[in-house]
Order: sequence, then structure tokens, then C-alpha cells
Amino acid sequence: MSNSNSESLLRLEGVSRHYVQGDQVVCALENVSFTATRGEFIAIAGPSGSGKTTLLNVCAGLDHPTSGKVWLGNRDLSELNRHQLARLRLEEIGFIFQSFNLIPVLSAEENAEFILLLRGVPDRERREKVGALLKEVGLEGMEHRRPGQLSGGQQQRVAVARAIAAEPKLVLADEPTANLDTDTAFSLLNLMERLNREHGTTFLFSTHDPRVMQRAHRIIHLLDGRIESDQRVAVPQM
Amino acid sequence: MKAFNIIMIIAWRNLWRNRRRTVLTAGTVSLGLGLLLVFLGIGDGSHRQMIQGAVGLGGAHVAVQAREYQTRGGIERTLSNSQVARVSPWVESQRDGLGISYVLRRVFAAGLASSADGATGIRLIGLEPEPEKAASVFDEKLVRGKFLTSAEETGAVIGEGVARKLELEPGEKFVLMAQAAGSAEIESLLLRVTGIMRTGVEDFDQATVLIPLSTAQELLRLGDSVHQVAIMLNQLDNSEAVARLGRQELPADVEVLSWLELMPELRDFIKIDDGGSYVFNSLFFLIIAFLVANTLLMSVLERRREFALLDALGFTPTRRFLLVILEASWIAVLSVAVGTALGYAGHLYFYHKGLPLDVFYSSEVSAGGTVIDPIIYSYLSWRRIAGAAGLVFALTFLLALLPAWRGAKGQDAHLLGQA
Repeated sequence: MSNSNSESLLRLEGVSRHYVQGDQVVCALENVSFTATRGEFIAIAGPSGSGKTTLLNVCAGLDHPTSGKVWLGNRDLSELNRHQLARLRLEEIGFIFQSFNLIPVLSAEENAEFILLLRGVPDRERREKVGALLKEVGLEGMEHRRPGQLSGGQQQRVAVARAIAAEPKLVLADEPTANLDTDTAFSLLNLMERLNREHGTTFLFSTHDPRVMQRAHRIIHLLDGRIESDQRVAVPQM
Repeated sequence: MKAFNIIMIIAWRNLWRNRRRTVLTAGTVSLGLGLLLVFLGIGDGSHRQMIQGAVGLGGAHVAVQAREYQTRGGIERTLSNSQVARVSPWVESQRDGLGISYVLRRVFAAGLASSADGATGIRLIGLEPEPEKAASVFDEKLVRGKFLTSAEETGAVIGEGVARKLELEPGEKFVLMAQAAGSAEIESLLLRVTGIMRTGVEDFDQATVLIPLSTAQELLRLGDSVHQVAIMLNQLDNSEAVARLGRQELPADVEVLSWLELMPELRDFIKIDDGGSYVFNSLFFLIIAFLVANTLLMSVLERRREFALLDALGFTPTRRFLLVILEASWIAVLSVAVGTALGYAGHLYFYHKGLPLDVFYSSEVSAGGTVIDPIIYSYLSWRRIAGAAGLVFALTFLLALLPAWRGAKGQDAHLLGQA
């Protein structure tokens, strides 16, 4: 059943996601197909309710398509059980959410190293890596603060650090800049771009902010759950 | 291990996110456990007082008797002098190891006591006055006169009921008649009342006559034989172990009984009382269980988004399940620590001061063949504490299963996008 492609990291084929709400069937996604290759920096654009979050959830195996297939690498997500999907997310996917979604009882440092802890990375290696990452995202000196003691921008930086600490192949970001002021948003985008460039991490992020879209190398426009366009844009020289 | 550590940390910190709720939940369970321990201490204490009371009124922690004497009785079913001689070295060899405090020889018979004012059926106990005075409570129960002495061979201590029926007072005489062993002859003996006792056990006071062992042996023509060698222990809890050892090591022509077999009425009364307590305690804990179950479930349901986040971060369903179980376990640990301290403090209070129940009943109330003391002193064993603590752990674990399953189920990814 595997369908491997050396280039593709993520592949969706004819993915639809329908919800039943009362007597009505709501089509969150309708026949969505695309392939994301390693190292891409992709924006999923579209207005609210266009299916961006559902698409990201389906890509991560958090939601299951009503029809169609999703492959991550050569694994068909529909063939994995809940445990295997969780393992897959732990090993290969980083998540950044619009509303930060840090674990409130853990400090910035503990949140950032959370994935590494679950993976059983040795203490020293973990601390060095997280220390460097927090420094890189500008949170040096704030390691022991709990999420409630950090600003929105700082929380999102912690979320980014958590998402990339374990060097996942794919980072899924759901409107990562939506709750941030302009400066913080651009600073975060710069960071994501740098990670993409330097580490080859694939980013798939949703947005409806045109300024954010401009930074993407590829923009997939969604409207009413369907792909309206899939454009590659010239990568600006840094 | 690292993953387990971080789950432990999250579980612990989660408890203190809603401090008031945690304190209320753990406080309820602690109070429940504390009260349970106090109830158990009072219950066990009252049972022990009843057992010790019965042992002190002619019973024994362990008794060595002729085979089948317990079930079939019979004046001829005695331990011969040679059998007693074989028991004595065993008792001596075990005295220190098993905590044997007294060894008492006794004979029992049914008889008829008569005076100028009437006659009544009695239960005769022939005993060794000096050791019995130290080991039993007969002396303490005297309301008039004094206890027996070996020197006063025709002396008798009689129950208050016997004294009333025969209108006897200390110093007065009465005739005791009983069938002698191995004969159809009725033997009689003129005795002088040395003391009158009131134990509070109606049946006992209405029919008991105590006389020196040698006098009873002579009256019943038993020679040196006795019906029972009663063994008194320092520790009630050792009764069954001593009886078991006796059965292994003593000759097969004797039977060795613990108080449980020797006093079946009392044993059954305690069983029934324990049964009632278990029902009451179970209902009590069931109410607490519903409260805790509700709190645990609510704490999971209001964190659905957090569980969805954990799911998204690769926290497997097993780990999410474990997280809730650990949260419940932390509550159990806190509750057991505080509850045990509370319960033990309550136990210590009632151990020293006693629980006065004389408002409800006098010292004359008896049950199971013994008197129930109006002041109950708590007794709490470590086994009871461990059992109650284990119950709280087991119950908390069971109550956490449904919330843990709900937390493990996930499927709330749609909540992650909500601000």
C-alpha cells in the first residue's frame, strides 16, 4: 500500500473531509490533492472557513479524511492507528498553533524540550540544544518563566522552539502570526525562513495575511475547501 | 524514563492549577480515610475488649483439651496427668518465643447448688486460684467478699445471680452436687461462699460457681485430670499461630483451639458486627467515590484542548491515559498521607482517652457471651492502615479509569485552532 516518492514528503490525493452538523453535511475539504517536497516553504492561504486548519489537521493525522489518502513519506496515514499516528507526529512533525498552545504548567524551557523529553534525548544534549534554540528565538533569560508570564510573541517563540527542537521533517503552522503584532510576526517569519533555509525543514503554514503570504515560496489558495490555485513564487535572495 | 518523569511532573503541577479543587478533593478523601481508620480502630478495639473480656471470664487465647471435648463435652473427656505433663514442656519451650503469659488448668462440670432458700443449676469451674487471680478478671468482678485461695479448699466464688436465687452472702454455706466421672453417683460437697461476682454477662452471673481445682477434681473424682489447659498470651493476635503450632507439635490425642474455635458465639458476633461495619464503610466511601469521580472527570473534560495539544505533539493515548492516572495517584498519595495522619491522630486520642458509650448503655450490656465495655479504646493495626490506604489507592485508580479513557481518546483537534 505504500506509495513512495523520493522527492515528496507529504502527499494528499483526492482528500475530502465532510462533517455532519444536524441535518446538513458540511464540506470542510473537497478533493484536495498536492505534494509537498522536502525543504519547501508553503503557505496555505484562504479566508476564514476555507478549510486551512482542517487541511493541516488532516496532514498531521489529527483528523481523518472522509475520502482520499494522505502520505507522509511513504506511510499512508489511514493505515496507522492512534498510537502510531501519535508516534509519527512525535518523530516527524512539529506543530505551531495560532493560539500558541503551550503546556501551561511547564516553563518555557520545559515546553521547548518537551518533544525531546518524550523522545528520550539525553539530558546534556537536550539542554544544550534547547538552550541554544531559546537563545536563537530571543528568549534567553526567560527559560524558567511559565507561559502565563510570557507575552504572546514570546509564547509563540517558545512554540516555534518546541516545534523545531527535535528537527522534524515537517513543521505545520496554523496561522502562526495571527495573534502577533507586526514586528513580532515578521521576526517569527524570519526565524521560520532561516530554519527552512539552514536546516531544510519543510514548513506548511496557513495564513490569510497577504504580508505573510509574500514570504512563502509556494502558495496554495483554498476556497470553500477546494484548492483554487497552487502557485510557486520566486525565492527572494537573502 | 524521561517521558515518565515529565508526565509525573505535569500531573503534579496540574493538581495545583486549581488549588482549591485539589484541596477539596484530597481533603474529602483524607477525611473519609481518617474517619474510616477511626471507625476501624473503634470497631477493632471494641472487639478486642470483648475477646479479652471473654478470655478473662474463664476463656483462653489458646486451649488444650482432650480430643472432641469442645464439640461433644463429657465429664470423662479429660486430659490425664501424663497428657498435661507432655503439654507443659512444650508450653515452657515456647513461653518466650510465643509470648505465653499464663498456663492455667481447669475443670468444668454442670451441677446443682442448693441452700436453705432454694436450688439452682450451675456451671462449675474448678481452677487454680492464685494464677487465675492474676490471669483472669474474676477477682476484679467481685462485688462482695474475696477471691479463692488454695488454702481455703471449700471456698467458692459464686455469680451474683446464684447468690440472689440461693440468698447467699459471703461466709454462708451451700451444697454443690454434681455427677462424678465414671459413675452414676451424685457427689455432693458443702462449700462456703468467699465472694460474689458480677461480670455483667447475665448467663454467667446466673449460673457460675468457681471452686479450687483440687476440690473440683476430688468432687468429680477426676484424680489429677483436667478438662482444659488454658494458655494466656501477651498478644491476642498470636492466638491462631500458637494454636497452629500446638496442633503440629503436640500429641494427636489432644485438641488445640484458638479463641475463635473456643468461643464460637463471640467469633460469630464479631463477624456479624464486622459485616455491618463493612456495609456502612462501603456506603460511606461510595458517596466519596462519586464526588471524586465527578471531580476527576470534570478536570479532564475542561482540559479537552490541552489533551488535543498533547495528542498533536505526539503524546500517545497511553501516555495521556497515564497522565490522568498519575494525577489521580497524586491525589491518592496526598489523601493517604493526610488521611492516615488524621486517622492515626484520632486513633491515638481514643486509644488513650477511650470513647465513652455509657450514655447509650451501662456496663451490664453483654453480647456473644461477654460484656461490652461502655468505654471503648481504639486499636489500630498496621495491617488495617495498609488495607485502608490500599483501598483508597485502588478506588482512586478505578475512579480515574473513565476520565483517563476520555483523556486518552482525544479527537478534539478542532479545539486547537480556538483562541
